[in-house]
Amino acid sequence: MLKIEHLRKVYPNGVVALNDVNFSVEDGEFLAIIGLSGSGKSTLLRCINRLIEPTSGRITWNGMDITAAKGNEIRKIRRQIGMIFQQFNLVKRSSVYTNVLSGRLGYVDTLPSLLQIFSKADHAKVLKNLEQVDLSEKAHVRADSLSGGQQQRVGIARALMQDPKMILADEPVASLDPVLAHTILKYLEQLNKERGMTVLCSLHFLDLVHRYATSAIALKDGNVVFQGLPKQIDDQQFKAIYGQEAEKISII
Amino acid sequence: MNHRNIQLIESPQKLLSISIFSLIIPGLGQFLQKRYWRGLTIFLSAFLLTFLISWALNTYEIAIIYFGILETSWLFIPLILFWIWNVIDSVNLRNVKTFTPLPGILCAICILFIVAWDVTEVKPNRLIERFNDAKTIATNIANPDYLSVDINGEPEICSWNCLWSNLKNKLSGLPIQNIHLSDNLGDIFGRIRTVSSLGNPIKPTFETGKLIETIAIGLMATIFSTIIAIPLSFLGAKNLMDRVPGGNIIYYFMRTIFNLGRAVDTIVWGILIIVWVGLGSFAGVIALTIHSVAALAKLYSEEIEHIDPGPVEAITASGGNTLQVIRYGVIPQIIPPFLGYTLLRWDINMRSATVVGFVAGGGIGYFVLETIQMGAYQLYAAALWAVAVVIIIVDTISSRLRENIILDKPKPPRKPGVIGYLKPAVYILLGLAAFIYCWNITDINLRSLFQPGPTFLQILKDFTHIDLSFDVLNLVTKQIIITILQAMLATFLGAILAAPASFLAAKNLTGKSRLLAWLYYLTRSVFNFLRSIEALLYAAIFVFWVGIGPFAGMLALTVTTFALIGKLFSEAIENIETGPIEALTATGSNRLQMIFYAIIPQIVPSFVSYIVYQWDINIRMATIIGFAGGGGIGLTLSTFFGSLQYHKAGTVVLFIVVVVALMDFASAKIRETLI
Repeated sequence: MLKIEHLRKVYPNGVVALNDVNFSVEDGEFLAIIGLSGSGKSTLLRCINRLIEPTSGRITWNGMDITAAKGNEIRKIRRQIGMIFQQFNLVKRSSVYTNVLSGRLGYVDTLPSLLQIFSKADHAKVLKNLEQVDLSEKAHVRADSLSGGQQQRVGIARALMQDPKMILADEPVASLDPVLAHTILKYLEQLNKERGMTVLCSLHFLDLVHRYATSAIALKDGNVVFQGLPKQIDDQQFKAIYGQEAEKISII
Repeated sequence: MNHRNIQLIESPQKLLSISIFSLIIPGLGQFLQKRYWRGLTIFLSAFLLTFLISWALNTYEIAIIYFGILETSWLFIPLILFWIWNVIDSVNLRNVKTFTPLPGILCAICILFIVAWDVTEVKPNRLIERFNDAKTIATNIANPDYLSVDINGEPEICSWNCLWSNLKNKLSGLPIQNIHLSDNLGDIFGRIRTVSSLGNPIKPTFETGKLIETIAIGLMATIFSTIIAIPLSFLGAKNLMDRVPGGNIIYYFMRTIFNLGRAVDTIVWGILIIVWVGLGSFAGVIALTIHSVAALAKLYSEEIEHIDPGPVEAITASGGNTLQVIRYGVIPQIIPPFLGYTLLRWDINMRSATVVGFVAGGGIGYFVLETIQMGAYQLYAAALWAVAVVIIIVDTISSRLRENIILDKPKPPRKPGVIGYLKPAVYILLGLAAFIYCWNITDINLRSLFQPGPTFLQILKDFTHIDLSFDVLNLVTKQIIITILQAMLATFLGAILAAPASFLAAKNLTGKSRLLAWLYYLTRSVFNFLRSIEALLYAAIFVFWVGIGPFAGMLALTVTTFALIGKLFSEAIENIETGPIEALTATGSNRLQMIFYAIIPQIVPSFVSYIVYQWDINIRMATIIGFAGGGGIGLTLSTFFGSLQYHKAGTVVLFIVVVVALMDFASAKIRETLI
């Protein structure tokens, strides 16, 4: 179980990104995080794997205190948590293969990894994970020669190299068109249902939340304003989250 | 939308006051309306133009007229017009917010040109009067000394005429002369020696030619500067230094060092270095290395600043440590652009290596200097053609490789076993062998770096208290003004000549016409050929034609400007949007109409920006053109250095650095506003 208590993040410029966030996620959940741009979704996800240092509060995950971890401990925790990004964050000029391989870095010794020496098992894992996201033929092309949807699948394959127990997805489909959005989320759903990974995913569209998530939280100005089942988000809730003038837009 | 009009009606008094502000101090009205850059530019322009006019009047009596006993300059008329434009502009700024700066610019250009024409001693009549000299040198250049025949035991140059008559004799069965490779060719490319200098037979050894030495100088400088620039560039990257305590200071310090290193031309570095390590190829290598470390480190730092932070974040998130983040998130992103810049620098270094010998005493530059001093123009011609061929080859290789880097495809994983390592091993061995060979022929002597010549300490001492007396300042000011104006004239002349030619060199305009396609290849080749030779080498030709002085230097710069700007212009034309052309073709207009209505409006901004950029480059070149008799500040510098007056030479170097740095800044600023 991932438990977040009194999490607060104030940026050096004084912006309060997270005010006092409390919630918990059971293992195996698909948690959707919704809210307007700037409501703190990205900050929240990055605090969970300490890409951003929280100002105060506590994050515990299956008994480990993530917020208290130091140095090597953080890396050990991070490697169990896969992350998927809105802009894919691939090295554009490197091959798909190398990009996927780099997901394994948390597990290997530094020196061989600097010379790009990996074990046979790791190489086999790259091929297996590329197959999982249906990109086997694209292993040796440049990452930026792929379409957006394909690049995001490379991002997923890279995260899978970590054998993660949990996946953090920061607006994984915001840069993609609606059809591709479903493809990507279906992969995440599959990982969640078949391999039991906990998924925390920030999303913009409510119908994607209804379709894929098993639970949801909503952030507004750095506070949790809703926590519950996706279907509980009715019109009134929606207006509370997105403001009075918001209109529901649905995609395909 | 309406409040502007209301303001206009409300404030006739304000209008009056603004015009008065601008009347008293040009640019003040603009400044008060929060158009700070415009105001500052107008103020500085007015100040500099006034200074220039009175300086030209006092020093050269340019544009002098008499009112009774009062003597003044009629150039004050365009200055007054400039002043009036400035007042109108300040008022118009209030009303409609925009007003064309064109009249102001025209007035300024008019003043600059008239003064420039006089101070650079432009005498177009000389081009015609001394046409015979031009013919002589053209004949010499067309008949390079590559082959010779022995006449009465003395070798004589055998060029086209000699070859032709021998060919005719051969065909008609007459006896032919014994044609062999000339001594000069051996000097340039190298020769196999079988007898020692004392005449004793020795084991055949290859003696390196000056051209090979030049190639080695360029190569070594590129390798050294890359190795030195990489670590420095990390210190000059803002995004990295912001993370380190006190890094900001290091960042600004490094950037200043880079800019100073770039502002001093290779040739100027050369004369400083020979005092340190003595004449020779090694001095050339060091001079080139210093200049290119500064240039490369700046480009590298900018590249580091522009990396995509995404992969860094992703690899951190997957548990990678700092070293792994650098290896997988940073290095793959910076290696291709670094390689690209190094290749570009290699091209530039090869060009500079051909002239660094003018002062440093190594490579083909020194050879050229000697041949010119002997008046042996056929020997000079042989070097010139050889340089052109080498530089064109280097240019082609460098740009091909750079294209490949941009499009590069990731290599498939290395084959396992010995075979996988064989190919890289062979490359490494070949590279190493070439490196050692170049090391040897460029006389690299690291020990001499730590045993500077005795005069070097003198330089350091003299440079700390440079001569700022009135006479020296007066002379240096005069020469630097000549240099700036020389560069300006060359830029405009070159650009005017290049503009029409560049249309012929644009691939997208050739259409289906055969003739135009041929003209395209012809103009392209002319640009590439002319570009391959440095202005200093051209100067020798023009000095012979129009005599020593700034005019010759200006003409030499015009030729290189024509070639470089012609290439840039034609590329600008090739990059225009095709939509408007398509639309005009659809209306049934012809090619000329198309150029005037669809192409010119699109290319004017980039043309102007290239001209400004070229002026910036030309000022750097003009600071050294004096070394080949082209006048300007370079002449002063070489005189002061030659007579060991280092405290005066220091003043010149200081002026050069300040002017080049200011022009660099101004040019960047102007180009920013244009685009």
